[in-house]
Amino acid sequence: MNRAHSKTKRTAFVVAAGLAAVTALAACSSSSGNGGGGGDSGPVTISYGVWDDTQGKVMQQIADKFHESNPNITVKVQITPWDQYWTKLKTAATGGAAPDVFWMNESNFATYASGGVLANLSDKLKGSDIDMSNYIDIQTKAYTFDGKVYGIPKDIDSIGLWYNKALFKAAGVAEPTADWTWADMVAAAKKLTDPSKGQYGIVAQSAPQQSYYSTIPQTGGQVISDDKKSSGYDTPEAIKGVQVWVDLVNKDKVSPSLQQMTDTDADTWFTSGKAAMIFEGSWAAAEFKEIPYAAQNANVAPMPKLDQPGGVSNGLGNVMSAKSAHPDAAWKFLQYLGSKEAETAQADAGIVIPAYKGTADGWVKAFPEFNLQVFVDALKNSSQYPSSMNSAAWQDPIELEFNKAWSGDETAAQAAANSAKIMNDALAAEK
Amino acid sequence: MSDRVPATSAVGPKRSHTAIHVVLIVGSVLMVLPFFWEVSTSLKTYAESISVPPTIFPSSPVWKNYTDVFATLPFGAQFLNTVIMTVARTVGQVFFCAAAGYAFARLEFPGRNAIFIAFLSVLMVPSQLFLLSQFQLMQRFGLLNTVTALALPGIFSAFGTFLLRQFFLQLPAELDAAARLDGCNPFQVWWKVMLPLAKNGMLALGILTAIWSWNDLLWPLVVNNDPEKMTLSAGLSTLQGQFLTNYPVLMAGSFLASIPMIVLFVMFQKNMLEGIASSGIKG
Amino acid sequence: MTSQLVPPVEQGQRRPTPLPPRGTKRRSLRHGDRYWAYLLILPTAVGLTVFSIWPAIQTFYFSFTKWGTFGGHEWTGLDNYAQVFHDPELLRSLWNTVIFSVMTLLGIPLSIGLAALLNTKGLRGVGVYRALYFLPVVTMPAAIALVWKLIYNGDTGILNQFLAVFGVDGPHWLSDPATAIYAVGVVSIWSSLGYNMVLFLAGMQSIPGEFYEAASIDGAGPWRQFFRITMPLLTPTTFFVTVITVINALQAFDLVYLMVGKASPAIEESQTVVYLFYAKGILQGDGGYAAAIAFVLLALILLITAFQFRVQKRWVHYE
Repeated sequence: MNRAHSKTKRTAFVVAAGLAAVTALAACSSSSGNGGGGGDSGPVTISYGVWDDTQGKVMQQIADKFHESNPNITVKVQITPWDQYWTKLKTAATGGAAPDVFWMNESNFATYASGGVLANLSDKLKGSDIDMSNYIDIQTKAYTFDGKVYGIPKDIDSIGLWYNKALFKAAGVAEPTADWTWADMVAAAKKLTDPSKGQYGIVAQSAPQQSYYSTIPQTGGQVISDDKKSSGYDTPEAIKGVQVWVDLVNKDKVSPSLQQMTDTDADTWFTSGKAAMIFEGSWAAAEFKEIPYAAQNANVAPMPKLDQPGGVSNGLGNVMSAKSAHPDAAWKFLQYLGSKEAETAQADAGIVIPAYKGTADGWVKAFPEFNLQVFVDALKNSSQYPSSMNSAAWQDPIELEFNKAWSGDETAAQAAANSAKIMNDALAAEK
Repeated sequence: MSDRVPATSAVGPKRSHTAIHVVLIVGSVLMVLPFFWEVSTSLKTYAESISVPPTIFPSSPVWKNYTDVFATLPFGAQFLNTVIMTVARTVGQVFFCAAAGYAFARLEFPGRNAIFIAFLSVLMVPSQLFLLSQFQLMQRFGLLNTVTALALPGIFSAFGTFLLRQFFLQLPAELDAAARLDGCNPFQVWWKVMLPLAKNGMLALGILTAIWSWNDLLWPLVVNNDPEKMTLSAGLSTLQGQFLTNYPVLMAGSFLASIPMIVLFVMFQKNMLEGIASSGIKG
Repeated sequence: MTSQLVPPVEQGQRRPTPLPPRGTKRRSLRHGDRYWAYLLILPTAVGLTVFSIWPAIQTFYFSFTKWGTFGGHEWTGLDNYAQVFHDPELLRSLWNTVIFSVMTLLGIPLSIGLAALLNTKGLRGVGVYRALYFLPVVTMPAAIALVWKLIYNGDTGILNQFLAVFGVDGPHWLSDPATAIYAVGVVSIWSSLGYNMVLFLAGMQSIPGEFYEAASIDGAGPWRQFFRITMPLLTPTTFFVTVITVINALQAFDLVYLMVGKASPAIEESQTVVYLFYAKGILQGDGGYAAAIAFVLLALILLITAFQFRVQKRWVHYE
């Protein structure tokens, strides 16, 4: 019996090995399959690299729509999760094998444009269907490097104050309004904090855009100078913009600590009803909608005012590889992605606020349960997302630095001074 | 080693054994508890999984978490990638190491010691030293994000060669001689006479290689970042830290990913433990 | 992680009884043999050259270069190595690695104790215990890390809720810079306990029973037998396990990557050398510096292992 048993095992083993060989071969041939061709006369397949799963499905629909009018061009959407996207893209770009068309963000744009990875679109734009003045101005500016256009703006975001209606009601606190000040918010947060229930008034996450990038413009400060040559972190205005957050955590104790927000992420604190407010982006609408508790209880109001209106917006751009094997097809697809039709399709699917002026309505209507007009209105006061030639050199280290203020190991002023130094050193090294 | 003959039983072992059992059972509970928690959480709703105080057993099992694993990850593709990588590495290593191990143990040829020392030196060096260059090699061959890249470097092993060389050294020398007199060439001796005798050693190496491959993280993480081409180990690691970590689904995925090696272990426990005891390899 | 150590030569249980007749052996050494030998060695030799030996040489070269953002590198001489000694991040990671290694060594007495219990004469259920303790060894580290993250969660984790029963307010184990590396260390001990135990059990079972019988006759109790017979005779195994444990701990990566991660406020206080190597070389594309870190690691491993071999004469008893 034992022997028979081992014989079956061996057979299974051999079969598995044979299967492995066959599959391995199949894998090889499929990966080299679409490399051939070259000329754009026949049918071609181009790749479109994106990182968001939810959006990826809509991107495929847009690509299919494009294929209908351009039957010779098939677009394959490649989804790579955010954490892997940039490592993968960098490797691919190094080997000259970046996707034909792909997503770019503002932080990485200058690095890729100056590195020769992105195709310069300025010449192609002349006589094309694309008019760069159709896109929200800060986005057009964001995808221009050295006076040349390297990307077509795809979308834009902004930050709002999400709050939990049920918790406000239970605590007898009036819901946030458009003319709330920062002090109003702190007062409400204090009333909503209930240590016995493990409930906090607000979850003050340390992610830059949802915290100090939003408040520094409101105090009249700057993260980076307009000429992108120096840091603004060591100014009293910027320090104040950081201080207000640190106070929520360490002085007023109306927010979970940094450690608590690491063990359980900030959005979970909010969507599980354990924190009553959160600064979160327009992008969160699609995600909150999927969580029954949040869909039922969450709504959004404008950010409370500090000294003046302000905030930063980040938005993606569609770019094409300078080394694309099918530049004509890629450019055709890129133009379609920038068309009013495709940009509006993104809004109607409820995934993002398009960068194309006047197409946001569909997005606002896609989530009637949330007051999303707030985000569209916020765009009026939004400035460009802070970035430079090599943003990666300072962005991550500075996040770690400000974490020390959040955890109380440093004062906001110390962290700001250290961050200014990190940033100025990095900016000086860019030249 | 498991079948040791108990010495003539001493007087009154029963009483002292109770204390020993208590200690061992407490220890076993500590070893198994995380597994229990994994399975229990995998059957909870998301809200229940983060509830305070926790529920020990799910109030009503949510089997859907297991189907959700396939929606969250390309679990099927990653499972297949892991199987292919594991099988390719295991088969390749056992076969090639048995060949090289036999040559080093039983054949004499010029340069034998020099080559063997070169092999041994590979064993002494931390594998991180190879990583950057291996990665570039894969990049140059256009193999990044392929299953081939996952498996390839792991097919060749200095350790396996050494392990099987030790095994062949123990086999009686007159066996080769007899086979040679029958007119076999060294390859035939190896194939027909030696391999069947080295079955236990090869099995031990095979199981250890399989477990090591299945659980390997750093290399798969580095070469393949396309989710469709990842292994389960790397795939699971990408799930955490993303927006709203869904613990029940994560636990369901972890459990499913661990099962094959646990089954393999239960099936081949004896061979594996003997292999470890005699070699000190770490799974 | 494969152990990097040369395994001990097996005990010759099945040594061939008659020595092979010299003459036959000589005659069998036909000239063509060497080609067969080369053929058998060829695949592994080529594989190791391409995937290990050449990469090591190339990495050594990389350690003297600086990498460009999108490929290409320039020769910068000893710059990377100079940076190594002034980089607080690397120095901290070396210290973290040392803490981690010392912690995992604490698992050794524990596994010796377990092995001793399992080695009790006539004990029932040894196979079951052994399998249970061994379970974490065969389980995927990614799965282990995820479940422990859940257990360690400062607000909802079962560990702190258990401690709360006794009025203890547990920390955020994995996010608190003061506890993260120790919390990871505990998991490492937990997951390698069974592996070490199997080695020690094998070592104990190879100790001849006569020693114990003689001791019993002299009236030595179990504790005395353990310290006077088992421990001394086990020292070769203990030495071997110590060496492997240290080498593996110095290369720790998986658990820190999976349980702490780059976004944690505790990462600086818990990242190991290999984690930093990964962060620099793969995530940040600073391959030159990462290569230098890899060679620092190699030096560290060789130094510590050499030290252990040197000191072993003082405490390891070979029969």
